[in-house]
Amino acid sequence: MAEKPQPVRVLYCGVCSMPAEYCEFGPDFEKCKPWLIHNAPNLYPDLIKLSNAKEADKVTEQLQSTGISSDGATPSAPKQEEVKRLPGGKIKKKEKQEVVIEKVIRNKRKCITTVKGLELFGVKLSDASKKLGKKFATGASVVKGPTEKEQIDVQGDISYDIVEFITDTWPDVPDTAIFFIEDGRKVPAA
Amino acid sequence: MFKKFSSEEVSAQNQVKASVQRKIRQSIAEEYPGLEPVLDELLPKKSALVVAKCQNHLNLVLVNDVPLFFNIRDGPYMPTLRLLHQYPNIMKKFQVDRGAIKFVLAGANIMCPGLTSPGGALDEEVEAETPVAIMAEGKQHALAIGFTKMSAKDIKSINKGIGVDNMHYLNDGLWKMERLN
Repeated sequence: MAEKPQPVRVLYCGVCSMPAEYCEFGPDFEKCKPWLIHNAPNLYPDLIKLSNAKEADKVTEQLQSTGISSDGATPSAPKQEEVKRLPGGKIKKKEKQEVVIEKVIRNKRKCITTVKGLELFGVKLSDASKKLGKKFATGASVVKGPTEKEQIDVQGDISYDIVEFITDTWPDVPDTAIFFIEDGRKVPAA
Repeated sequence: MFKKFSSEEVSAQNQVKASVQRKIRQSIAEEYPGLEPVLDELLPKKSALVVAKCQNHLNLVLVNDVPLFFNIRDGPYMPTLRLLHQYPNIMKKFQVDRGAIKFVLAGANIMCPGLTSPGGALDEEVEAETPVAIMAEGKQHALAIGFTKMSAKDIKSINKGIGVDNMHYLNDGLWKMERLN
């Protein structure tokens, strides 16, 4: 091979990043379809026919007021709820955004308050622990809790006014999203 | 192997010294003679070569933050799929039938029957333990990079079980990591 082989330019799907011909096996072929119709119409010839037919159906089914653009690039269901997909094609549930506060008693009369879930609101845990420690004048640290989640441990029982403190310092956290754990049950703080 | 892979698994990233760089170049050139004319472009002598060490004895060869090759322990270097797509003829090719595509893209190893069926194709010369490109019936581009467990002849005669280990496939962790950091 004396000549320099030129790099082949592969058409990658703008939605799922795979080569366009593999979109049909991708995690979300439905979402790729509009892109494919627009950018690689010759790869899936039946797709265009199909989508045109579908959209025609839809139009007749719904009100016949709006004319649909003929390029077929309009996504068919833009309002669908966004779901994150795992590599296996399973749907990942969005984690509930909530802060859980629990009081753990050690040595009978001493206790630790753990705060879980602050990171879901975009709060930096190391900053938060520092602030908590300063406010309550106790030790506060970021600890790896069970299942690899990080949580903040604060020494002492501060559950009485931690809610107010959290909502004051991080206005993003609504007090409806704060929960206490009492007797193994979740109790809303507000 | 790269099913779950993210930049978190990179434990150390080092700019390697010139001698190591030379060694990597040499072994890549040996493994992929077809790549030799463009090797200077891929791994410019001047720009720094970075080797990222990851878990499970995995090494990534990066140039300008773009992963180009990977290997395990001291195994052969294998190109990433993005690189292979650019230079498709550098590796020996196996072809799987259409029914296997969806499993391969979910990370499954390649079973012999998928290679020997009418939709599949084998490169007869391939020995065991060599990196191969996995193509698919009716498709133009590679969908995975594998490491053969048996030679092509054995795959044909035994026709059972895992023929090729799936190392790296479309839309896995390494594919999604277009550049590191």
